[in-house]
Amino acid sequence: MNINRKEILRYLGYRGKAADEVVTNTIEDCLNELLRTISPKCIYQIFPVTFGDSNTVTIGTITIKSKNLSQHINGCRQAAIFAATLGPRADLLIQKYNKLDMSKAVILQSCAATVIEAYCDEQQDAIQAQAENQNLYLRPRFSPGYGDFPLTYQKELLAVLDCQKRIGLTVMDSLILAPSKSVTAVIGLTEEATTCHINRCMTCQAKNCPFRKEE
Amino acid sequence: MNILDQLGKRIIFFEGGMGSILQQNGLPPGGSPEVWNIENRDFILNVHRAYLNAGCDIIKTNTFGANSIKMHGEHYTAKELIESAVTIAKQAVTENGHGLIAIDIGPTGKLLRPLGDLSFKDAYEAFKEMAVTGQQAGADVALIETMSDTHEVKAAVLAIKENTTLPVFVTMTFDEKAKLLTGGDIPAAVALLEGLGVDGLGFNCGLGPTQMKAFMKELTACCSIPIVVNPNAGLPKNVNGQTIYDVEPEEFAKEMLDIVMEGAWIIGGCCGTTPAHLAETVKVCHGIIPVPIEQKHLTVISSYTQAVQFGKHPIIIGERINPTGKSRFKQALREHDMDYILREGITQQQNGAHVLDVNVGLPEIDEVQLMQDAIMEIQSVIDLPLQIDTSDTVAMEKAMRIYNGKPLINSVNGKEHCMHEIFPLVKKYGGVVIALTLDENGIPETAEGRLEIAKKIIDVAKTYGIPKTDLIFDVLAMTISADQKAASVTLKALELIRDQLGAYTSLGVSNISFGLPQRENITSAFFTMAMQNGLSAAIINPGSKSMMNAYYAYCALSGIDKQCMEYISVYSGQTVETVAAGADVPLDEAVIKGLKESAHAATQKLIQTTEPLDIINQMLVPALDVVGKEFEQGTLFLPQLLMSAEAAKAAFEVIKVHFEKKGQTQEKGEKIILATVKGDIHDIGKNIVKVLLENYSYDVIDLGKDVDPNLILETALKQNVQLVGLSALMTTTVVNMEKTIRLLKEKAPGVTIMVGGAVLTQEYADMIDADFYAKDAMRSVYFAQTFFGKE
Repeated sequence: MNINRKEILRYLGYRGKAADEVVTNTIEDCLNELLRTISPKCIYQIFPVTFGDSNTVTIGTITIKSKNLSQHINGCRQAAIFAATLGPRADLLIQKYNKLDMSKAVILQSCAATVIEAYCDEQQDAIQAQAENQNLYLRPRFSPGYGDFPLTYQKELLAVLDCQKRIGLTVMDSLILAPSKSVTAVIGLTEEATTCHINRCMTCQAKNCPFRKEE
Repeated sequence: MNILDQLGKRIIFFEGGMGSILQQNGLPPGGSPEVWNIENRDFILNVHRAYLNAGCDIIKTNTFGANSIKMHGEHYTAKELIESAVTIAKQAVTENGHGLIAIDIGPTGKLLRPLGDLSFKDAYEAFKEMAVTGQQAGADVALIETMSDTHEVKAAVLAIKENTTLPVFVTMTFDEKAKLLTGGDIPAAVALLEGLGVDGLGFNCGLGPTQMKAFMKELTACCSIPIVVNPNAGLPKNVNGQTIYDVEPEEFAKEMLDIVMEGAWIIGGCCGTTPAHLAETVKVCHGIIPVPIEQKHLTVISSYTQAVQFGKHPIIIGERINPTGKSRFKQALREHDMDYILREGITQQQNGAHVLDVNVGLPEIDEVQLMQDAIMEIQSVIDLPLQIDTSDTVAMEKAMRIYNGKPLINSVNGKEHCMHEIFPLVKKYGGVVIALTLDENGIPETAEGRLEIAKKIIDVAKTYGIPKTDLIFDVLAMTISADQKAASVTLKALELIRDQLGAYTSLGVSNISFGLPQRENITSAFFTMAMQNGLSAAIINPGSKSMMNAYYAYCALSGIDKQCMEYISVYSGQTVETVAAGADVPLDEAVIKGLKESAHAATQKLIQTTEPLDIINQMLVPALDVVGKEFEQGTLFLPQLLMSAEAAKAAFEVIKVHFEKKGQTQEKGEKIILATVKGDIHDIGKNIVKVLLENYSYDVIDLGKDVDPNLILETALKQNVQLVGLSALMTTTVVNMEKTIRLLKEKAPGVTIMVGGAVLTQEYADMIDADFYAKDAMRSVYFAQTFFGKE
């Protein structure tokens, strides 16, 4: 897994500045402990895609009304529904440090947020390899909560993949995923030979998000 | 046929997969298989028929997800779906002339608190409805399956056993490392389920027969009840984006034969298996005589992740979560300061404890509630098994009920009424109980007298169906300062219990030196002698170097610690008498640099000569101000801000203990309520604000996460709190923040509300009528200072 240390610092609010030695070492300790503790799991399935009127898109059996998602996977005839989780042990570990040492808690939190993305990237490579057999390429992940893709779809995405049973991923009444370090996403499969041509942040409506990447 | 009579006489066959067959026949991904019980009943009937024709003994009703939590808001109720499922199964059995019906009970589909938002009680109620409906409709047994969380499975087993008379079988889903999703291993799951008295246990789903076969040795090594194995038709494979299971019937049956030879008594299938798989399996396995179960006679307790077995090496039971003689701990209990209790627990774990004793009894507090709160909190962050230590049987029962594992219980004794109170609880919930060798006549003066009481306790336990292996005898250490023979009597009693009863022992070791100077000299030497005489468990302070030295040395000397590996790992690299870390850094510098140990040491030194208030106002607060300003200016970042906060906290802890020792109470700052709003479990932001506000001496009332608006209101009114801080992480939970604010403004108009959280902005905060938006944690401190007129 390729874990980007700069990303961890970004979550910690460093805004491009370097961390001192103590923090740098603590990050490495936390990463090691986290990676020792977790057993991440993921699952995906590929469905046909059809586009309807007024910004709706149907992926398999789920019809989603979202202009941003429709644009994002525009032109794709198939899409993968994807889910991944670091599992409950990551939450338990962060919870433990919430009681023990808040500085380590925030560092672990940032490490876990980075690791889940890295894990998704790694798993996505496997899908990419499979797609390439059919001369298809992946669009970047697009998750409920991005742009106008409503979080209410979490339930359906999880149900389609049977996530509770297969990878232990659930959603709470408040539409927050549990375990919390988890991702659900739609990944468009396109015939255009493009790699990540859309930066995730640039399609997001949360313009004043402190973590927004402006490149 | 009575299933329990058949067990062990021949191999019993469960039916195979249902949901995967429905999916191949038109059930869309994400669709509810249970709906077919009403809308496509003939199809379900035909699947059951096919399995019965294949030779299966027990069919599983198509009710896996038919619980009220999953079915909430759906077209059919759980009850309707279960009733029709059992009716269909009955029809298949009647037509076929043989077969039993298992009410199939899968997980709720949600995670229990604290990982998710489902309460233990709500999970229990959902399972209860399933089981009761199932039995009323005609099910013969209950099968709890595909469970990946020990806490949820405990709720399910209790719900069935307390509300039906059905035999209970439980299969759990392990991953390829033989771990449950929550991290539990096979011995931990077995300890819990055997303790709860289920009729059979084992594996299903997640893995194919090959992988499950590989886990059979680990399972049979610790399990003394019938084993159930229902694998998938192989590991799920992703082919062209679709999930398939590709182990063919012949291969499946061949692997199942091996599983039977390894000791499974009941076998069947799960996802991807078909009547053809089961027909082949029945053909291959039906003539096999089940391998007899060997009783393991283990004395074992468990947490949600691990089992701790007695008899391999002396077990260290950490005694520090106990208010006796500790004024600081008593204060923490009175203030419901769970963080303090948790830190005591984590420290003991780091010092080498294997089990933590939990005693929260104080005359002036509600022990029943506090014991439950403490158990829930501790088991959410510490994965050691717990010893529930209380003389209040109501508190004991409630704690045993919610405990996520098989607990150690402290204690029972030879008094008739005590045994009749405690043993039914041990039988029902499972547990190993510490039995004190005393009775109505007090503590016998001789070792033989204590042995006699132990025998009596074993006899009475037996009448409750509790084996000797679930008892650990505390033969009582009494101080030698009163009677010097006390040590030799206790040591002899240890030997007698070990040699004549073949039972395990424990001691509260430190009692031996009560009333003597330099107690650790006596206590640690006695500890070594006791281990030499067979002591199986010791209730001690793992923070005591001399006691842990005695423990590691004994294990090395006795050969328990193979190749002295543990001794070497603990002591190599440790220099004798390390200098107290960084003792010479001044307090303000220690705080600014975020050096916890140095801050602690510096404060301990300062407090000898300086008034606590001067330490706070002249050193701690100015240092924190420096750090806060640098954070604001962007020259210092969140981890450093919090390292400084933790260092200051360590200094405050010294001051707190100082006040406690002098019997004074520290003057409290103004009260501030903090809460993460209803529906939200991301509380890290709130916790950051908490540690900072506490640094500035505010009296923070932390209501936790997922907090009901009414609790916030009630607390504000009852405790006359002027300032409330709310956090929310998601747009979906900001709605609950708004609701909370509205309620407070209406019912407690004097209260001021500050808000924060990742998705909030000033505009958003204004929109939901918050009084102040804290962009980051320091702003909430500055606002509090302005609000209370300090700046």
